[in-house]
Amino acid sequence: MDYIIEMLNIRKEFPGIIANDDITLQIKKTEIHALLGENGAGKSTLMSVLFGLYKPESGTIKLRGKEISITDPKKASNLGIGMVHQHFKLVEDFTVLENITLGAETVKNGFLKMDQAKKKVMDLSNRYKLYIDPDAKVSSITVGMQQRVEILKMLYRDNEILIFDEPTAVLTPQEIDELMNIMKELSKEGKSLIFITHKLEEIKKVADRVTVLRRGKGIGTYNVKDVTKEFLSEMMVGRKVQFTVDKKDIPPKETIFEVKNLSMKTKGTTRNALNNISFKVRKNEIVCIAGIDGNGQSELVYALTGLKHFDEGHILVNGEDWTKKSIRYRNSHGMSHIPEDRHKYGLVLEYSMAYNLILQSYFTERFQKNSFLKRKNIIPYADSLISKFDIRSGQGAQTVARSMSGGNQQKVILAREIDKNPSIMIAVQPARGLDVGATEFIHKQLVAQRDAGKGVLLISLELEEVMNLSDRILVIYEGELVGELDPKKVTIQELGLYMAGAKRDEVKA
Amino acid sequence: MNNQNPINQYFNRLSRKKGTASLLSSLTAIGIGLVIGLIILLITNPEEAIAGFFTMLSGGFNDGTRSFGNVFYIATPIIMTGLAVGFAFKTGLFNIGASGQFIVGAYVAVLIGVKLPMLGGFQWVVGIIGAMIAGAIWGAIPGLLKAFLNVHEVIASIMMNYIGMFMVNYLIKQTVLNVYTNRSLPVAATANIPKMGLTTIFPGSSINGGLLIAILFVILMYIILEKTTFGYELKACGHNRFAAKYAGINETRSIVLSMAIAGMLAGVGGALFYLSGAGVYIEVVDVLAAQGFTGISVSLLGMSNPIGILFSGIFIAWLQIGGFYMQRYSFVPEFIQIITAIIIYCSAASLLIRNYLELKQLKKDEKLSNVINSDTADIVNSKNEGGKN
Amino acid sequence: MEMLYLLLRQTMFFSIPLLIVALGGMFSERGGVTNIALEGIMVVGGFTGIYFINQMQSGMSGQLLLVLAIIIAIAGGVIFSLLHGYASINLKADQVISGTALNMFAPAFVIYLARMIQPSGIANVSFKNTFLISKVPVLGDIPVIGDIFFKNTYLTTFVGFFILIISAIVLYKTRFGMRLRACGEHPQAADSVGINVYKMRYIGVMISGALAGLGGLVLTIPISTEFKGAVNGYGFLALAVLIFGQWKPMRILWASLFFGFMQTISAAYSAIPFLLNLNIPSEFFKMTPYIATLVVLAFSSKSSKAPKAVGQPYDQGAR
Repeated sequence: MDYIIEMLNIRKEFPGIIANDDITLQIKKTEIHALLGENGAGKSTLMSVLFGLYKPESGTIKLRGKEISITDPKKASNLGIGMVHQHFKLVEDFTVLENITLGAETVKNGFLKMDQAKKKVMDLSNRYKLYIDPDAKVSSITVGMQQRVEILKMLYRDNEILIFDEPTAVLTPQEIDELMNIMKELSKEGKSLIFITHKLEEIKKVADRVTVLRRGKGIGTYNVKDVTKEFLSEMMVGRKVQFTVDKKDIPPKETIFEVKNLSMKTKGTTRNALNNISFKVRKNEIVCIAGIDGNGQSELVYALTGLKHFDEGHILVNGEDWTKKSIRYRNSHGMSHIPEDRHKYGLVLEYSMAYNLILQSYFTERFQKNSFLKRKNIIPYADSLISKFDIRSGQGAQTVARSMSGGNQQKVILAREIDKNPSIMIAVQPARGLDVGATEFIHKQLVAQRDAGKGVLLISLELEEVMNLSDRILVIYEGELVGELDPKKVTIQELGLYMAGAKRDEVKA
Repeated sequence: MNNQNPINQYFNRLSRKKGTASLLSSLTAIGIGLVIGLIILLITNPEEAIAGFFTMLSGGFNDGTRSFGNVFYIATPIIMTGLAVGFAFKTGLFNIGASGQFIVGAYVAVLIGVKLPMLGGFQWVVGIIGAMIAGAIWGAIPGLLKAFLNVHEVIASIMMNYIGMFMVNYLIKQTVLNVYTNRSLPVAATANIPKMGLTTIFPGSSINGGLLIAILFVILMYIILEKTTFGYELKACGHNRFAAKYAGINETRSIVLSMAIAGMLAGVGGALFYLSGAGVYIEVVDVLAAQGFTGISVSLLGMSNPIGILFSGIFIAWLQIGGFYMQRYSFVPEFIQIITAIIIYCSAASLLIRNYLELKQLKKDEKLSNVINSDTADIVNSKNEGGKN
Repeated sequence: MEMLYLLLRQTMFFSIPLLIVALGGMFSERGGVTNIALEGIMVVGGFTGIYFINQMQSGMSGQLLLVLAIIIAIAGGVIFSLLHGYASINLKADQVISGTALNMFAPAFVIYLARMIQPSGIANVSFKNTFLISKVPVLGDIPVIGDIFFKNTYLTTFVGFFILIISAIVLYKTRFGMRLRACGEHPQAADSVGINVYKMRYIGVMISGALAGLGGLVLTIPISTEFKGAVNGYGFLALAVLIFGQWKPMRILWASLFFGFMQTISAAYSAIPFLLNLNIPSEFFKMTPYIATLVVLAFSSKSSKAPKAVGQPYDQGAR
């Protein structure tokens, strides 16, 4: 057979987990081979084995039919294997050129000689239409260009087998199309591609074959044109999946949350992180802020929740001016916040689950008396939320948060934020990194909040999530709201044009 | 399930406890430190090494009740400086400035002890209170610099050590100098902390009521950290400042208060040492107070836990007394500092042991919950991300 | 005028060791390892270098002896710094705690050693200062500059400037420098392109050991005739210089000159009639460098340019 690389019967265990259980992956020369699976299915582990980062317990790797052993990333690179990581591995303080050449620098007597390298990089850049500015610092270029830098890193090293790890998560639909074209171009030029994803749409668009993983096991390899999306999703999840969330039509009622002309300056630049943002959220309504990562979503959330000071504008909740209210006032008077990064903001990982559940209410009379914590109230309270939200852990309320799985950690946050009985719930990427089951659960809870008469503000990068959940879509681009759209009428393509800044309307609150 | 028998269950429960893992790693560090110490002795002085080593280990047993009582006398101030380091550590701050806080506290206590005999029986109490205030101010300064200007607390508190030392030298010269000995004047009898009956248990030693005061502070700090909302806030800031902010906790206030309390504890340490009635005086020399640095060892060895600090303070005092008696042979007392430093080095490394034990437990727990729940990818990841906060 | 030259020369005596040690710290921290152990490494370097002089001075003197002592001090510093490297890199220990342990260990150990190996049993190691260069030929005749740099000077001053130039070139113009910086900014990125992060960090720590060890010797020679097992917080001042110098070689030079000048005021105020006439107690002069450090850090810490990954242990498995 003309396989360029084969991973045969790979088994990799971690204490307590079998991450890869007898997985086989065979890549043909010049094909685009998709690797499909949920978070935690074992994709990353398998690729780490291929890169020599993990040593498998058993199994063999063959390159062009010859058995090889890969002991470290350097060896993998020497064998022609390269990867664009999901989280880019770029040194922000370095220039584009320095990043591309790092580790494969051209030198003379130990001194850097960049001219030659620059010529090679620019040749590659022109040949594959991967446009970059070689002398710009990585910290100042767009995400799209950063990705091109990552691709050039592989090409610069003359890699033959190119791995793309969830490359589309940070791109607009238009940029995704562009990437798909680049990938096809690369395969035409003789490269072999492994495309790691959980997005079926993209597999149908670009891949030749697909290997599905589920819970550490290889489910099968299929020709993409022979199978349907529904079939693939069933293989991936292990059961039939509902693509849409059940949502009753409820007309939204009075305004509960209002943002007026909010602006936030960025230190040291003239550009505003947020510019004149105005919108409303009403009762029984899920409003979604859609946009590409890094267009001001985080700043907006920080401004609304009080984590960051903003320069101009007002925030009103139930008609009350909250502009100057403290974080504590906000989170104890009807604002809930499911933060983007649950490990950074949402949880104190060293604290027990019970202590995390009272993170914003430990000072209330229910949980303290004369500033002594009342354990006899805290533990039963935690137990009640644990059973209500079906949170699973080793030692119940006493479990240290760090030792819980991502889905259950997110449930802890969700339980805490819902139990506050808020007027307005701000949820930022609530399903990030979770499997399909946990995602469904979180989505149902958000819809239930909306049905119960709350206002929900959802900030999401996942278009599917945006389309399924929201009653109204606001598009954010470079710190401004550039479109207000009805999810029932708008197409994904049109939404993409707004997100890329190619189309804009006047948005008024 | 095969580990249902009661003994296994007991050990499972024991190994689950964070404290057990901490204790185990501290004991390992002590063991390694002692072995390396013995090797150094054997290399430098093979004839007397063994005898000297056992003299050191015998510590408080070397001279009956006298040396035994003196262990507690030596332990008293370093328990306080240990608390000063450990308390700040719980808020994520490394208070390397206990030395300066100790000496300014000591100075104010001595000043009150010399100048205010009219306070009578309350003089020692007022002395301690004065030391608390002085130490708190000295600790609060790096706290304020950290909270408002992002100055690294390690550098700031080191500088405060030197500034405190020179300032106290100057102030002693101005106020309470004994010109013949170039040190502070003796305090009034009523400024010395009462013996509280301890000398009847340990006759001949310098033990005094300061020990009980130190123990009181140990209990107090334990309660604050473990049982109160204030402790909850401080530890939340220490573990994850972002989550603390999210919870509406005032981080600036926590940092400043934590450092002020830490300074206060070290200041009390200064008072307890120089009001001990054991005939010690503040020397006017350009040398930093050693108790402050010993406090770092005490705290690290006690894993920043107040109860742990109490025991590690006594342990290090025990070694120091042993080091004192080692001079019977041709050994110098600096040897104890060497051993202590090695122990700290090993205990920094032996966090590894603790992490390993915890990780093992973690995987075990996960295995159990795996049966009912499958998204495991986060465990490995979350374990790794924690350190970055 | 002679007074001014004296002051400037004195400033050199204090600035050069700060410069050397801070540059050492720069290599360690640019590679991603916080090195709070600089103080302890200086003590070890000072001790080994001075003890070597103490032992050899009966048969040797002058610049040759100094050069050999420099090599010995560097070796002492490198070996001692390996302990910090091992704890920080291999054992992934808390780097601040490891550094603190070494800072406690070094002075106790060298005093212990001095007392055990010196027949006199005293802790101080004395030496004869035969290293002063009263005037460098030709260069010493240049007006002003000759008076400041090339009269009554030490070889170590030139070594310091030489190290500065080499450091700047190595950090910015060589493959090694680029890789080292990558390890301090984003070790995962460096690892992903096949750079051995552990090895780079070790080299960074060892350079800091070499330079801090040298700094301990350089500090002691011009200002004393014996080594007392302490460097009086110089290692920490060097860290402040590093922070104030924003981890960049040229800025570190300016920062160390500033701190050196502060130190000169505290050490030499009695020789300066103007300062002596102010009748300020000596303690306040002694405090100056430390207060200056606090003030300077208070103004320069808000926007720190520290390497992004400094202080974080790198775990290969974690990616």
